[in-house]
Amino acid sequence: MNEAPAANTDAGEALSVEFRDATKRYDGSTQPALDSLSLDVPAGEICVFVGPSGSGKTTAMRMVNRMVEITQGDILVGDRSVRKRSPAELRRETGYVIQQIGLFPHRTVADNIATVPRLLGWERARIDARVNELLGVMGLDPELARRFPAQLSGGQQQRAGVARALAANPGVMLMDEPFGAVDPINRERLQNEFLRLQAELHKTILFVTHDIDEAIKMGDRIAVLREGGRLAQYATPAELLMAPADRFVEDFVGADRALKRLALMRVSDIDLWQAPLAFVGQATSEVRAKLNGAEVPHALVIDSERKPLGWLSEADLAAETVPARPDTSPDPVVELDDVMRDALSDLLQAETRYAPVVDARGAIAGVLSVEIISEFLASPDALTEERPAAERPLA
Amino acid sequence: MQLLAVKLGAWLPLAQLATLLPLAQGHQDFLQERSGQGCVQENGFFCFQWASDNLDRYVTPALEHLELVVISVAAGFVIALCLAVLSHRRRWLVPPITGFTGVLYTIPSLAAIFILLPITGFGTLTAVIPLTAYTLQIIYRNIVAGLANVPPAAKDAGTGMGMTDRQLLWRVELPLAVPEIVAGLRIATVSTVAIATFAFFAGAGGLGEPLYADINFKTNVILSGGLAILMAIAFDVLLVVAGRLVSPWRKVRPV
Repeated sequence: MNEAPAANTDAGEALSVEFRDATKRYDGSTQPALDSLSLDVPAGEICVFVGPSGSGKTTAMRMVNRMVEITQGDILVGDRSVRKRSPAELRRETGYVIQQIGLFPHRTVADNIATVPRLLGWERARIDARVNELLGVMGLDPELARRFPAQLSGGQQQRAGVARALAANPGVMLMDEPFGAVDPINRERLQNEFLRLQAELHKTILFVTHDIDEAIKMGDRIAVLREGGRLAQYATPAELLMAPADRFVEDFVGADRALKRLALMRVSDIDLWQAPLAFVGQATSEVRAKLNGAEVPHALVIDSERKPLGWLSEADLAAETVPARPDTSPDPVVELDDVMRDALSDLLQAETRYAPVVDARGAIAGVLSVEIISEFLASPDALTEERPAAERPLA
Repeated sequence: MQLLAVKLGAWLPLAQLATLLPLAQGHQDFLQERSGQGCVQENGFFCFQWASDNLDRYVTPALEHLELVVISVAAGFVIALCLAVLSHRRRWLVPPITGFTGVLYTIPSLAAIFILLPITGFGTLTAVIPLTAYTLQIIYRNIVAGLANVPPAAKDAGTGMGMTDRQLLWRVELPLAVPEIVAGLRIATVSTVAIATFAFFAGAGGLGEPLYADINFKTNVILSGGLAILMAIAFDVLLVVAGRLVSPWRKVRPV
């Protein structure tokens, strides 16, 4: 997907979505499925609807393309009321991905992807070009185009489903638990690919999930819904983790919300410590002098390109000069781009307190320690350092 | 229906009935030409000599039989499809239609022909009407079942992408129902081949004509009945092949 061609030729402009007291009440039911939901999703952002079953999250999403009719209130897509639009026309301009994928079993992958362009009456050559483009964008082998859905793996089917939803460049995408039916390893990969794609496409996406971790990872904003279709909180992932609006949100987000925040951060987001640096061949007396009062009480040996070689042990320091092969290896070496959660996991796994942090070229940038991470979690500035998840897809 | 045909055959003095009907005339030559040949006289299980000499007698009845089956099943399919499409978004119509086609199915074929004779007269039409009516029940029920078995996710995706009800029906639901529809056509066709032997009583010819001309001559009975069986098998194979051709997605294996 990294080398995929840009998908935004003749891209449809992302549209904002506004819920205005949108309510859904099914016949014969006393409680509304969705109770007067009001929120704005800015154009080009991912808004995740999350909540337990019966919280109306799927209902809210399906009201946007009128798969569920609004009982009261309104929804504006790009400032136009969906109630005043023909459902078929509205749906053709809205991407639609469901958990069961819903690929047509009797049509090839290419024909599936071409569904909406055909409904819109595109010319054949334009459809073919668009299908090929989307196969590339979604990282699907062009050979798969002539296969039937049953011949694809679960992950490939999901990619084909997303490609089909993107085919006519919709301004808004609706995704109902799109990665729910995929195994955890593939789900993580699909999520990452999708975030990378979104960083290019900047679609407005309404994303439904029951998984708070997925919501935190995917969402620029998260709408937490509770039983009875009521909005409990609408906030950025960081706000949600730092300041849950009430007990319900707190419980829903989970006791490990402090740890979840680490999934939102990169090592480069925090102030690192500096260790005394030692060059190969340098006199150990100079190094010992630098160790006094240093943040990190160990000296790190680096080569001429400032790449870490290892930590100096007491035995190393007893020698005259700094050795080229210090006793203690530098591992784990962490990169500035790494997700904080993974970096912490590396630290804990290696059972060390300190990890050298290197930049993209491998040169030393600082030192990460377990203490820095715990201090960071306790500090309130974490909030201000957040950037939307879509701009910072995880590797 | 085959069961019904067997029962009717058992209790009706068919040969007698056949001689009472004007159309049975002209078939006495069957009997006349039987004389003078050894194995014909013996009337054993099957007389190859006579069969090879007289095979051409069965060509026209077989072609008539073929025509009756094709017309009846095609008409039945068109009518059943219309009924299925009509009742697809009006589910309340399914029980009355199923009931009505079920009642049609229970009318004995000979009774239907004799009731129609004064109205439509001798000819293909009088045979085709009941034959068509008998196919409706099976074909209609299979189309309805096929449409009901379409994966809900495919329908939801189709509607969610902006297909109208009609587009969804013709582009998604009916193509996905093809395997069940073909299964219904196979049963309907095979049973129509069997029942079409009664068409001769309507003056529509078919393999019933040589069959009833001399039901005591075993070679004749085996030849007439055997051709009907061969025709049924041929239709069945043809429909299986055609069904596979129009639903290539069914035989795919996950890779």
